[in-house]
Amino acid sequence: MKKKIMVIEDNPMVVKSLEFKLKKDGYDVVIAEDGRTAMKFLAETTYDLILTDLMLPFVSGNEIIEFLKNEYPTIPIIVLSTSTQEDIITEAFTMGVDDFITKPFSPNELSLRVKRTLSKTIN
Amino acid sequence: MSIESLQGLENWPFILKVNLVLSLFFLVLTLLFIALIVFLRIRKNRKEAYRANFEIALIDFFNHYLFDEDFQRDYELGDFKFNYLKTSYDYKIAIKQVLIFDENLKGESSDAIKELFYGLGLFNFLLNDLKRNAWYKQARALYAFSKLGIRVPDHLVEPLLRAKKPELRQQAMLYSLNTSKENPLGFLDILDNELSLWQQVFIENSLINFDLEVPDFGRWLNHDKSSVVIFCIKMVVSFNQFQNIPHLIDVLDHPDAAVRAQAINSLKLMDVSDSLQLMTANFPYESPTNKRAILYAIDKIGTAKDLRTLVSHISKEEENLQIDYYKIASKFDNGIPVHRLIKPETIKQDWPEFQSYAQRMLQGA
Repeated sequence: MKKKIMVIEDNPMVVKSLEFKLKKDGYDVVIAEDGRTAMKFLAETTYDLILTDLMLPFVSGNEIIEFLKNEYPTIPIIVLSTSTQEDIITEAFTMGVDDFITKPFSPNELSLRVKRTLSKTIN
Repeated sequence: MSIESLQGLENWPFILKVNLVLSLFFLVLTLLFIALIVFLRIRKNRKEAYRANFEIALIDFFNHYLFDEDFQRDYELGDFKFNYLKTSYDYKIAIKQVLIFDENLKGESSDAIKELFYGLGLFNFLLNDLKRNAWYKQARALYAFSKLGIRVPDHLVEPLLRAKKPELRQQAMLYSLNTSKENPLGFLDILDNELSLWQQVFIENSLINFDLEVPDFGRWLNHDKSSVVIFCIKMVVSFNQFQNIPHLIDVLDHPDAAVRAQAINSLKLMDVSDSLQLMTANFPYESPTNKRAILYAIDKIGTAKDLRTLVSHISKEEENLQIDYYKIASKFDNGIPVHRLIKPETIKQDWPEFQSYAQRMLQGA
């Protein structure tokens, strides 16, 4: 059965590329363009991994991470962000994210990190 | 309206006829204007719809090109170029998408994006823009080349560093900063316009954010443009280039007062007390602003002795300078002969602390 990944991202180019790449890698991909939509989708079905930006409309990435850690603590989270500031990255890891990828990103590297995070969760 | 009634118009007074003609004229004008607005709106909507569809096609094509291993790259590239890239508007949209992809992706994908840039003929399109006379096309081309880090022949860019339009000059600088690995600030050598404050901030940000090798700014301290010298003095301080301190001291004799002011402030920031000798020697001939700057330099890196040497060079009319002098003198020993300067009637109520200090010094003197 295909692993289900939710991508929370508002940049159309990044969304399309991630969707294309992750589908090519054999995942089932659901796109949420903002935090509210993401929460709505989460209430409807379960996901194996969440890939989220930090700068999002309506609900920030940090709020989503907090929500996920409270409501769905077992779902692994990977952050994909333009921020390279150490305090932001540290804060994300403190909140419990599993990985942090900075933009610009290498799609192949992202693919490997997704695979690694999912395999860690299974183990 | 019947023909009879129209014939009756002949009997109308002249003013009513003029009124009728003007009313009809403005009615037609209004209708034409409304039609024009509707036409422009429809055209804009169509253009936006076309743009949205074309962007989707581009993103889809780029994704296949980048991530689909079964994709026949060479064949599909030629096919896409033939079917989609027909007008300059198409080229502009494609260039924008290439820039967005390049901004978000790195590694192999970034290299593939550059392949697309060349393969789709976008490089040649922008190169032609660079050769044209329209400054906005040249600026756009330089922007794209600099973002992608693609070099073009120097003879096409050098004249643009001396362009009349500041926006174009700035893009030419950005291009040089982004594409030259060995000499990113080499454009300063051929610059014959002053650097605006905005451009200075922008170059400094580029040096910090673009991971460029910081050059030795002492090289441009003799530049004939004062703004370049001022910028380089600031950079000497920002990047702690202490090897340039002797050059900075030489700049204290620069003919431009603004350059000297920057040198005074920078030497103060770098705690170069050796420079005070020349500063105090130049003090009598300096502008009021620079005199003030020298006083504050003494405050930070000088002694009461340095301050004392200046007393005879502060005239009784230079009230603001006197205030600064009192302020600084109050931090040193009481051996400062301020009584020689004090003109109590000119010390205003606005500065009570200095007034009282002056009075105190007078009484003590």
